[in-house]
Amino acid sequence: MINIRDWGAGIWERSSKTTRIFIALGWIALAASLPFLGGTWLNTPIADYGAVLVFPIAIYTIMALGLNIVIGKSGLLDLGYVAFFAIGAYTAGILSTKTHLNTWEILPIGIAMAMFAGLILGVPALRLRGDYLAIITLGFGEIVRITALNVNAIGGANGIVGIPSPPSVFGIEYTFDNHRVYYWTFLLIIFLTIWMIRRLSVRRAGRAWESIRQDEDAAELLGVPTFRYKIWAFVLGASVGGAAGVLYASKALFISPDNFTLQVSILILACIVFGGMGNIWGVIIGAVILGYLPDRIRFISDARMLVFGIVLVLMMNLRPDGVLPRKKREKALPEKRQA
Amino acid sequence: MSESILKLQNVTMKFGGVTALNDVTFDIKKQEILGLIGPNGAGKTTVFNVITGVYRVTSGDITFNNESIVGKKRYKITRGGIARTFQNIRLWGDMTALENVITATDTHKRSGLVSGLFGFPVSRKEEKRDKARAQELLDFIGIGEYADRLARNLPYGVQRRLEIARALGTEPTLLLLDEPAAGFNPSEKVELAQTIKKIRDAGYTVLLIEHDMSLVMGVSDRVVVIDFGQKIADDLPSKVQNDKRVIEAYLGVPEDAS
Repeated sequence: MINIRDWGAGIWERSSKTTRIFIALGWIALAASLPFLGGTWLNTPIADYGAVLVFPIAIYTIMALGLNIVIGKSGLLDLGYVAFFAIGAYTAGILSTKTHLNTWEILPIGIAMAMFAGLILGVPALRLRGDYLAIITLGFGEIVRITALNVNAIGGANGIVGIPSPPSVFGIEYTFDNHRVYYWTFLLIIFLTIWMIRRLSVRRAGRAWESIRQDEDAAELLGVPTFRYKIWAFVLGASVGGAAGVLYASKALFISPDNFTLQVSILILACIVFGGMGNIWGVIIGAVILGYLPDRIRFISDARMLVFGIVLVLMMNLRPDGVLPRKKREKALPEKRQA
Repeated sequence: MSESILKLQNVTMKFGGVTALNDVTFDIKKQEILGLIGPNGAGKTTVFNVITGVYRVTSGDITFNNESIVGKKRYKITRGGIARTFQNIRLWGDMTALENVITATDTHKRSGLVSGLFGFPVSRKEEKRDKARAQELLDFIGIGEYADRLARNLPYGVQRRLEIARALGTEPTLLLLDEPAAGFNPSEKVELAQTIKKIRDAGYTVLLIEHDMSLVMGVSDRVVVIDFGQKIADDLPSKVQNDKRVIEAYLGVPEDAS
């Protein structure tokens, strides 16, 4: 099978700085023009193409990128990632209905709340490893959902209704059915997240996470403050999840505990594994496919999840490292260089 | 070469009913190569593990530069100036050789995650400096040409050497080598002995665990022998070789002697 990952990275590495800027701009332009490129054949039975791009695709992509920092980069199995999404969404829901703050003012607050939750969860949980960490985070995800379900002050099982749309920016109106505007806003968050991850990957934090993922004891014994960097991974992952939550609430205008079940955590994890753990491009592909596919095949009704499951099983057998695996290649071997 | 930098005082390490180290006392002097030998299971690696903070001693004290390091966090002990290699190679396989060493040099960076994210000058400067330093260390150990190759694809001997370069990346004053010559052929062992001497001459102090007697006796200034968790000899290599208790520990006691 052709190694798409190495082929793409090869082109990138051989390019000069100017070419790289053009490649990046090309991709940004392509991503931004997606709402115009689709046709009705891409519509799903429950929503048209433009709406699908916003939810689930853009929202899943943001969450998958955030969770990828935790699982893909640092190797910490977090099964309760939906909790940060819920905290962001509920922050937006409560503040926008009970105060006069608008979405853009709430966004940093929602991110901060999610980061704080990441810290609160991380400090006790990250002393554990592997399966134990997975169980604690799984519990945390459920605690958040069940709390939302049982506290009547924040809507209980009914959730929060009547969340206002974001106010206009530079004269652009955010109306409920103007999906493009939401899509471009979410795209901006996606680009910011990609920028953050790429930046950190080649610096100290990225190396610390990588060393923790590969051999945590060796990392600690070679001077990496592993606990601190694990907390950072958790907090940054949470911040991205929180941002996704605030945006989701401002688009959906209605949230309830049913939006934040364990299934969401599992599905986002599946996006990462399917696309290629640790590789942001792979993760995006995973989020796009797994976000879109279940809705697109709704016409086969009950068999839908069966088909979805078969696709996942096949994929894991044929390409266990995902669509685009993390880097695995070698630069030119020194022997060859000398010859 | 008289001042001691690391002291183990009456160190005892018990795991449940097993006493891995029993009242071990020795010290390492500045810029010395100290060999630590003993039969299999004598407790040599346990010595490394209590020094680097993997285990906490049951009793006794360990001081580094006259400061107790018992109970300190592992990464803080490393930052204080003690670095180690591992008996079974534990490199970060998915990173290149150079990245392995740079990760270790991160130990002394002032810039953290936030300044790395926004590309503050301090972060850029340190990145550049440490990359150069890492390459310098790879060249020093003699594996500079492998810098861009993934650690897990490197030949075995290069991996062993990379472990040493990585440990040096933390800028230690004391280097702990855990069987660095395991699996080496005789000519590689000779090369390694030269490397160890070179490391000492560059100003480092070395504590060496090794099974190969000619290597240990050839490079060490002094040799400590432990057997069943107890120190049985601490002397010049030439004297240790003729020590009756050491010979007994390795070869057993002849039946007619008892």
